[in-house]
Amino acid sequence: MTGVRTFLAWFVVAFCLATAGTAGAYHTQFVSQNCNWASPTPTSYITRDGSMTVALRARYEGYQWGGGCWNDNNNDDSPGDPPATGGTGGEGGDCSGFTFKVWRESLNENDAGFYQWGMLRFEHGPYLAQNFKGGAGAPNVIAPKSGLYQMDALASMGHVGMIYARNADGTDLIIEAKGEAYGTNIWTRTYRGDSSYGGVRRTGWSS
Amino acid sequence: MSEARLSHSKFVGIAGLVAGVVVGAVTVVLAGTAVAHRLAAAAPEPLLEATHLPPLLTAPDERVELRYDVYCTTAEQIESDAPCDATGSVFVRAAQVGPFTEIGLRDEGSASEGRFVTVVPSAVARSPSGFAYYAVIRSRANGKTVTLPGGGATAPQRSAPLLQSAVATLGEHGFGKTRTADRRVAEAAWGTGPGEVGLEDVGKNLSPIGGSAFDVGPDGDVYVLDEANRRVLRWGTESGSPAQVPLEINGTLADMSVAADGTAYVLETTGAARDTMLLRTFDANGVAKGTSELAERASQVRVGPSGPVVLQTTSGQWMSAATGGRALSPSAQKASGRSGRPLLGGREVVVYRSGNELRAALIGPGFFRKTWRVTSETPLAEVQLAEPLGNRLVVVVRTFTDQRDEFVVLVLGPRGVEKGFSLDSADWAETAPLSRFRLAGQSLYQLGSTPAGMFVDRIDLEVK
Repeated sequence: MTGVRTFLAWFVVAFCLATAGTAGAYHTQFVSQNCNWASPTPTSYITRDGSMTVALRARYEGYQWGGGCWNDNNNDDSPGDPPATGGTGGEGGDCSGFTFKVWRESLNENDAGFYQWGMLRFEHGPYLAQNFKGGAGAPNVIAPKSGLYQMDALASMGHVGMIYARNADGTDLIIEAKGEAYGTNIWTRTYRGDSSYGGVRRTGWSS
Repeated sequence: MSEARLSHSKFVGIAGLVAGVVVGAVTVVLAGTAVAHRLAAAAPEPLLEATHLPPLLTAPDERVELRYDVYCTTAEQIESDAPCDATGSVFVRAAQVGPFTEIGLRDEGSASEGRFVTVVPSAVARSPSGFAYYAVIRSRANGKTVTLPGGGATAPQRSAPLLQSAVATLGEHGFGKTRTADRRVAEAAWGTGPGEVGLEDVGKNLSPIGGSAFDVGPDGDVYVLDEANRRVLRWGTESGSPAQVPLEINGTLADMSVAADGTAYVLETTGAARDTMLLRTFDANGVAKGTSELAERASQVRVGPSGPVVLQTTSGQWMSAATGGRALSPSAQKASGRSGRPLLGGREVVVYRSGNELRAALIGPGFFRKTWRVTSETPLAEVQLAEPLGNRLVVVVRTFTDQRDEFVVLVLGPRGVEKGFSLDSADWAETAPLSRFRLAGQSLYQLGSTPAGMFVDRIDLEVK
């Protein structure tokens, strides 16, 4: 009987040690198991409609603070990451990384060209939300909020989201990486009138 | 212990250790394979989506265009630079009955917004009872079709003419001249304790979110949805400390409306299953009474004539979520779609912000119609509230520049603005988008917040 107990005790200890990392690894290995570091593909032109399809591919995926890589299986593959921890390797962009890739920008802040990154390319880009709000980077300009439309952005010191559509009641549908509990999706927001938000436009669209 | 027994014990322990490692490793591999299979199995799907800003209220001299944005890709063409190759038609009719006429959509390739367009024939657009329409759009790239609004011919979008409107001009808004409240009827510090309202754990840098919705009962009781702590706080008219009612909710941004019998409808804005949003119903004690899956993404819930009504997009229509206590299926919700929010007595209220102009209408059975046009030199943002008060309409709209914002309260009567004043936006914490104001009796209530906590203020309108 003692032998069985000893066997079971060591079995449980070993099993727990062998699997202990797995739960955490599920949350932390998305990037290492799925993402790449390939060079972006320069493109000669982009359209607002075309960039919207890039954004829509990220919809229903996760959110990762400091992140910039997602797939298109309509599922957050790393749910429950600690919301205040960057670099945990989970799925999703954060708000500014998502905007950077959808707007197809360059890592060189003086380059206003267009670069297709691919959704599985892990890249956050050089801008935080507050940088977008300030119009930082050659492609980005501050724009009056009253004149913003599809694919323009509204940015505060801590968040940025892009306009998906306007609603009849004066609200906007915003496509955004909202937070760990929310993931990336489209929601009705009132950012346009909120004085903590400013208007930002990516320049150079073909249409 | 003898040497032999010690040796046997060591052997058993090592065997257990090895067995545990092996079984654990196999478990990890199997689990990893399952995850990998799940990741690999879900290939990108063909995409087709359309959006549209419906001209719900049109001026008599206006050229009425219907514009649509359309996005599509094939499964292989994951991230496309090319605009969607699509075709489509609008089906339109004057008045609210009769056959629809098909008009093709034109691809205006250079447009930055609303690339697919048609013009409503003036004879239809100027019909005294308005016009109704829906669109069917097909992607040539992937063969998918979308109907907008989702109810199609059964529940088309409706546009009403602004005939004999009361007109008002607000001029340039003077910021900083806000009215103070008549009474603070509820307040709480941020926190998780009794009588406190929680802030969501949003992580680094993000804006604070908390106290995401509220409502006022017929007896003046104030209900605040404390979503972060998964409860409702209820302030009575006399008591300073609120009662707490736990709710089984997601704990993220949600809208809420409370019926006269205390039934609370909570509109969740997050859900595990893709775009499926949920409307949860609780009795006055917080006991869950049911959950409705909504047809589309939704932003507002209000108590309608026969149950909860929800504003759903991309249809851009108010839809019944339940009638007589029974949840409606998504298709039944789409079939109930209306351009205005249904009110008691068969009336509905319609709001439409077009640039710096606010258009509003109370529309009732027969030819009952009261309409208003309010223009402003300062930009207008969202219409937070539009509620009838007798034969008047109380409207709260946000006005803004790139640096400032305030709410403007207007009491609209037969000849225009009967009363108007400004309120501080008081929006330190984010709430559900259109849940900052409620009208109860002759008082307006505002949900506000500061870094210290949230509050609800009462502003008496004193309309005679």
